[in-house]
Amino acid sequence: MAANISGVFTESLRNAILQSKVLIVGAGGIGCEILKNLVMTGFVNIEIIDLDTIDVSNLNRQFLFQKKHVGKSKADVARETALTFNPDAKIVHYHDSITTSDYGVSFFKKFTLVMNALDNRAARNHVNRMCLAADVPLIESGTAGYEGQVELIKKGLSQCYECTPKAAQKTFPGCTIRNTPSEPIHCIVWAKHLFNQLFGEEDPDQDVSPDTADPEATDSAGQGALNSESNEKGNVDRISTRGWAQSCNYDSEKLFTKLFHDDIKYLLSMDNLWKKRRPPIPLSWKELPDGVPGCSKEVNEPGLKDQQRWSISKCGTVFAESVKSLSSNLKALQEKSPNNHLVWDKDDQNSMDFVAACANIRAYIFGIPQKTRFDIKSMAGNIIPAIATTNAIVAGLVVLHAFRILENNLKACKSVYLRSKMNHRNQLLVPEKNVNPPNPKCYVCAPTPQAVLAIDTSKTTIKELDEVVLKNRLNMIAPDVMIDGTGNVVISSEEGETEDNNNKFLEELGIKDGTILKVDDFHQNYSLTVTIVYRERPSLKGDSLDFVILAKEQDLKPKEEDLVKPSTSNGQVETSDDNVMIVETETSSDVTKKRKIEASEENSSKKRKLEINDMDDDISIIENDINNDIDKVKSNFKAQNIEEKDDDCLIVHDDNKSIVATSQ
Amino acid sequence: MVEDKNQNVELTDHEAELYDRQIRLWGLESQKRLRAAKILIIGLNGYGAEIAKNIILAGVKAVTFLDHRNVAVEDWCSQFLAPKESLGKNRAEASVPRAQNLNSMVDVKADTSNVDDKPDTYFSEFNVVCATQCTIMQIKRINEACRKQNVKFFAGDVWGLLGYTFADLMTHEYVEDVVQTKKIQISDSGEPVQKEKFENIVVTEKHTETFVPFKSILNVTKSSLPKDSEVYYMILILHNYREKYGKDPLPSERGSENLKAEADIIIKKYDLEDKIDHLIESDLYAQISPVCAIVGGIMGQEIIKAVSQKGTPHNNLFTFNPDTLCGKILRLGH
Ligand SMILES: [Zn+2]
Repeated sequence: MAANISGVFTESLRNAILQSKVLIVGAGGIGCEILKNLVMTGFVNIEIIDLDTIDVSNLNRQFLFQKKHVGKSKADVARETALTFNPDAKIVHYHDSITTSDYGVSFFKKFTLVMNALDNRAARNHVNRMCLAADVPLIESGTAGYEGQVELIKKGLSQCYECTPKAAQKTFPGCTIRNTPSEPIHCIVWAKHLFNQLFGEEDPDQDVSPDTADPEATDSAGQGALNSESNEKGNVDRISTRGWAQSCNYDSEKLFTKLFHDDIKYLLSMDNLWKKRRPPIPLSWKELPDGVPGCSKEVNEPGLKDQQRWSISKCGTVFAESVKSLSSNLKALQEKSPNNHLVWDKDDQNSMDFVAACANIRAYIFGIPQKTRFDIKSMAGNIIPAIATTNAIVAGLVVLHAFRILENNLKACKSVYLRSKMNHRNQLLVPEKNVNPPNPKCYVCAPTPQAVLAIDTSKTTIKELDEVVLKNRLNMIAPDVMIDGTGNVVISSEEGETEDNNNKFLEELGIKDGTILKVDDFHQNYSLTVTIVYRERPSLKGDSLDFVILAKEQDLKPKEEDLVKPSTSNGQVETSDDNVMIVETETSSDVTKKRKIEASEENSSKKRKLEINDMDDDISIIENDINNDIDKVKSNFKAQNIEEKDDDCLIVHDDNKSIVATSQ
Repeated sequence: MVEDKNQNVELTDHEAELYDRQIRLWGLESQKRLRAAKILIIGLNGYGAEIAKNIILAGVKAVTFLDHRNVAVEDWCSQFLAPKESLGKNRAEASVPRAQNLNSMVDVKADTSNVDDKPDTYFSEFNVVCATQCTIMQIKRINEACRKQNVKFFAGDVWGLLGYTFADLMTHEYVEDVVQTKKIQISDSGEPVQKEKFENIVVTEKHTETFVPFKSILNVTKSSLPKDSEVYYMILILHNYREKYGKDPLPSERGSENLKAEADIIIKKYDLEDKIDHLIESDLYAQISPVCAIVGGIMGQEIIKAVSQKGTPHNNLFTFNPDTLCGKILRLGH
């Protein structure tokens, strides 16, 4: 291992490697390669997490896995194989999702650096936010086909994953899908919706029947015909596609006739739609064309089975067979529980057959080119081609970035792009000139007021969080609270939206140690990012609420629009996070414990008391100041009554110049 | 290079499933060509192991490891195919079991001979020969033998954090998919509704590229080199060192005068002043795993391109600069 051999690295890098503790998020294509590089380099403390199990289609690049491992945990097998490379490595693996609340800020804070090797945006967003909150350097990477990239994400220094808007996944207007498809993808989306309507989780947004509300159709002339038609057909449209299919026992001929004949005829009656379009042609189950465009009836083209083109007649057969299998699968599942349903999976043969057949039949009806099952699978399953070499190159760059972080040379961690072809300067691996600075308007990483809330998540209710912590202690009026990462809104300022949550404990809604809450009080331009730290509620004090808030004083109030920038009196624009400390659980409880004892000794009477340990221009609080502060809030927002009888408050400075406010 | 009849045999369902994600990238035709290719890898160090991994995963027909050296302590830095306990054993043989585990459909063999003992005709057994850890003399000789027998030739090395790949594909014909935007008109069996529409279509273009042998890229004039060719000079220095001492500088020889002396010759010759001093001082010892992955990844993909005759090959020198993280292609000696 490189770091065990003197002279391979400089002594400082060597020691940094040996002493570091790193996390790899994802044990897929890039993750396997990173792990190999790390153990060969001599990294000792490595943790790796992946939710996934091994599939055959992984084996062309995820080289730590073999055929015999199919179905097993990626993280587990990756660890096993990597240990054969370097038996001295200490690898901890988790077969789990990084987005669960078990992996909160305190989990991330354990690491010297984190390396993302993920394949989806939701998890990337989550790790991005966690690393920003934990202030741990994150190396983000990704590949697609021959291309890839690596970038550093470090709070305050570089762009975060969410600084630049990512292209949203393409969506299509409902009426294009339901009434007027013009491209193969429209038919594929329709077929996937149909799958869910018939066998999967029914989603009203995935209706597949003709859309009578199409603005183009209801324009003018066709209106009359439309009205009479919809009266006639009203009963068919009123019951769900699923209900109707069940009522006819998933009879494939009846289903076919409704979907590809009756519904098409209905669409034809919306004559406005077809003034400038080629009208669709309804199909009859009994007379399906068996020719393949450009081929004779007997097609036996070379190539993969999946790349054979199907005639419409063949599509009909595949449709009937897949409907039969899927409906009996659904029936079997629903015998266990009536709420069960199928989940579409590109790798499930019947599911994929069904979508391929339906998409092609619909394409034929609308005069759209048909696709092979192979191509439909790519589009329906959003398959991004992936090869070993690209992953290897990108993972190599990730680990070189890791070296630079360990050498404390973060400025050298410029983003690097792997191109499929060299650019005009003959570069194939193209580094940026500089580390891209953060976007000051980024809603994720722009310096927003931060606070740490140490609270007993198992014994505190949402209502208590709302009333006692947010409204009374933090002077909010009508806060909205969202769990960062999942996007779950736990407290809404809209009446009636989240009342059900009131009596639930924080933990029940997934708010645990390390959870980050985005708190917004739009009534007063007051936003806070609150990191939750678990802190046991002392039993001796019975039902009184006990929590600690740690934050900069200036953050715990609404922003005055023009005073957003912090003071620059000492010639330095304050951008760093020096003043905000996110406490480790231990520290905070130590501090609080100590304070609590003092508090209970000194304040048996439930009265506000302040204690000042330190003076600091920026953040020190003296009794008058905080009162002024509160007065300011009060005068600005008279509606809020901040007086609370059983509130004892204690404010102390810890050595990181933060403020601990205890309420007990 | 005899056309293998294997190439016309359809892929099995298992192959289609296993190679699904790459067939979606380079197509079925490329996969079939890969399946017919026999590759020789000379020198199974960390870099060689990366190249081997990549082409075995891709699904070539056969890979032969040719190496007379034994596993050394330095191999522990990046040679993940040879188990740690194989120290002192033949490096090619030690690498076979793990290499075979990567893909049971590839025929993986070891040959413990010294390449110098192989007759020129030996190389004609392969479609591609890829040489690492060879002297300039050896590279020139193998390259020449490959040229004579129409075998695609690659060479490359990794020293510490720095590395390169070189290709001599002689006259190489290949196709490339180019995306073009075309105006299409929709008219079908139904009412011919004329509507202008633009669609991206993939057009396959045929090209030919001509290469030069390795000897042509050595000691080229300064004026024929682009400004930022630091890695090229380093390659000359490190090759010259290897030529002179019969080995690469060891980690324990970090900062040795011998390397500096070789460097000085090149610095003077090309009038480089202090331009490459930072690289001479950098980590050039053993082979660092992430860099083997990067340069071995490039090499693996170039071999895949050469075999499948798809995609523009790098003509002819790819250099990786560990300081800037820039990977650049130099076209030298033409
Ligand atoms: Zn950002």
